[in-house]
Amino acid sequence: MTETDPVTRLLETARGNPVDNPFRVTGVMMQYYHVCKRELWFESRNLEIDRENPTVVRGTRIDNTAYDENRRNLHLGMISIDLLEDGRVIEVKPSSALTKPAKMQLSYYLWYLEQIAEVTTDGVLAHPKERNRESVELTDERKMKVEDAIRGIYDVVSKEMPPPAVEKPFCDSCAYHDFCWC
Amino acid sequence: MDRNYHVFSDGRIERKDDTIRLVTDGDEKKHLPIENAEALFVHGQIDFNTRLISFLNDQGVALHVFGWEDYYAGSIMPERGQTSGQTVVSQVQAYDDTEHRRELAASIVSGSIHNMRSNAVYYDSRDRDLEAEISALEQAASRIDDGLPINELMGIEATARKAYYRTFNEILPEEFRLSNREYNPPPNEINSLISFGNSLVYANCVSAIRATALDPAISYLHEPGERRYSLSLDLADLFKPILADRVLFRLVNRGQITRDDFETELGSCLLTEHGRETYSKAFEETLERTVDHPNLNRKVSYQYLLRLEAYKLKKHLLAGERYEPFKRWW
Repeated sequence: MTETDPVTRLLETARGNPVDNPFRVTGVMMQYYHVCKRELWFESRNLEIDRENPTVVRGTRIDNTAYDENRRNLHLGMISIDLLEDGRVIEVKPSSALTKPAKMQLSYYLWYLEQIAEVTTDGVLAHPKERNRESVELTDERKMKVEDAIRGIYDVVSKEMPPPAVEKPFCDSCAYHDFCWC
Repeated sequence: MDRNYHVFSDGRIERKDDTIRLVTDGDEKKHLPIENAEALFVHGQIDFNTRLISFLNDQGVALHVFGWEDYYAGSIMPERGQTSGQTVVSQVQAYDDTEHRRELAASIVSGSIHNMRSNAVYYDSRDRDLEAEISALEQAASRIDDGLPINELMGIEATARKAYYRTFNEILPEEFRLSNREYNPPPNEINSLISFGNSLVYANCVSAIRATALDPAISYLHEPGERRYSLSLDLADLFKPILADRVLFRLVNRGQITRDDFETELGSCLLTEHGRETYSKAFEETLERTVDHPNLNRKVSYQYLLRLEAYKLKKHLLAGERYEPFKRWW
C-alpha cells in the first residue's frame, strides 16, 4: 500500500473530504517544526505546557493587545489567523528572535488561504515592541518550503517517540523546558 | 512555587473582597494572602461556604482537610482546566499491562529504598552505628526485579521500611523509641509524628499530581482504590524520607518538639496544636529549601521536586521515555 502524500492528505482533510487518516497542521505546529521538533511532538500530543511560564504570559499579552482595533480574527479549518482591514494576514510576535519560524508560520497561512479559500494575499510579521514590521510574500520557493515542512511535520508527529532533547540557546525560555528536561 | 498555608485554630474561613480571611472562635481576624498560595491546609474545625470554594477555584488554590486525629480527610481541588482523556488512557494502559505496571512499581520501590538509605547513611556519618540497617536496606534493594509480582515488590518495600524504622531508635533520643510502626490511632509520640508528616507529604503530592492532567486515582505500586488518591501514595513513598523524616529527626533531636507536645488519651497519642504548628512550620521551610538540579541547570525547591516527579511520570506514559524515580542526589 502506498502512503498518500501528507500534503494531499492535509488538503483533503481541510476540504472536509473523507480521508482514511486525517492530517492536520496548525500554525503553531509549523512554527515549532522550525524551532524545535521535540516541542512539535509534545504539542501534537497535547503534552504539558506551563501556562505560568513568563515567555508564554508575555506572548499572550502582546498578542491580545497589539493593534487590537485594526485586526479581526478568523478561524478557517485548522488555522486561526488575524486579518488587517486591507486583507493581509498579520502575525504578531513579541520579539524578532526567531524570525525564520515566524515567517514559515505566516507562509503556511498564506499557502493555506490560497489552497483552501482561493484567496491570494500577503502577510505582515509585526514586532510591536520593536516597532518593526516586515512583509512576507508567498513566492514559489516559499510554497515549496511550506509543502516540504508539512511532510517533515508528518514524519515527526507520526513517530512513536519524541526526538531526543538537544540543548538550544532558547531552551531556558521554553514553556516545555521543565517537562522536557526533568 | 507558591506557598502552603496552615490553619490550626477553629473558626471560619471566608471570602473577604478579593482575598480570604480567617475568623477564629476567639474573634481574631487574619487575612491570608491568596495570590501566592498553592494550598490551604485546614487542621482545626472550620466552617466555610460555597462562595469560598468558588473563589479558591478561581484562584487555583487547593484546600486540604485534616480531620479527627490529624488524618488526611480529603481535598477540594481547583479545576484548573487540566484534564486530558489521553493521559488517563495511557495511565490505565500502563496499569493493565502487567510488565509495564511491574516496571513502574519496581522503580518506585527502588527510589523509595534509595532515599531511606540516604537518611541512614547521613546519620551513620554522624556518630550513629547504622551499618546493620544500611546493609539490610541494600540487601532489600538488590532483590528488586522488574519481573516480580506487585505483592512481592510490596514485600521488599515493607522489609526495607522495617529496617529503616529501626534506625529511628538510634537517631532519636531514648524517650522517643519507636517499638513498632502503628497507626489508627498512633499509640505513641513517634508514631504520631510519622503519621502527621506522612499525611503532609501525601497532601502535597495530591497538589503536584493535580497540576498535571494525571488521574490521582490510578497508581502502580499501590492498588488503585486503596485510597482515593492512590497515585499520591506511590509518589509520597519516594519523598517521605526527604521531607517528613528529616523534619522529624531535626525537631526531636534539637528539642524543638518534646513529650509536652503530645496528648495521650485512650491508647492514642496525638500532637497538640502547638506541636502541629511547630512541625508544619519546619515542614514548610523544608519544602522551600532548594537544591541544584542537574538537568534543569538551576536551583529548584523540594516542593517543585514533587511537581517534576508528576511531569516525569506523565512524560513516560505519553512519550515512552524511561521513568527514573526521584533519588536524592545531594
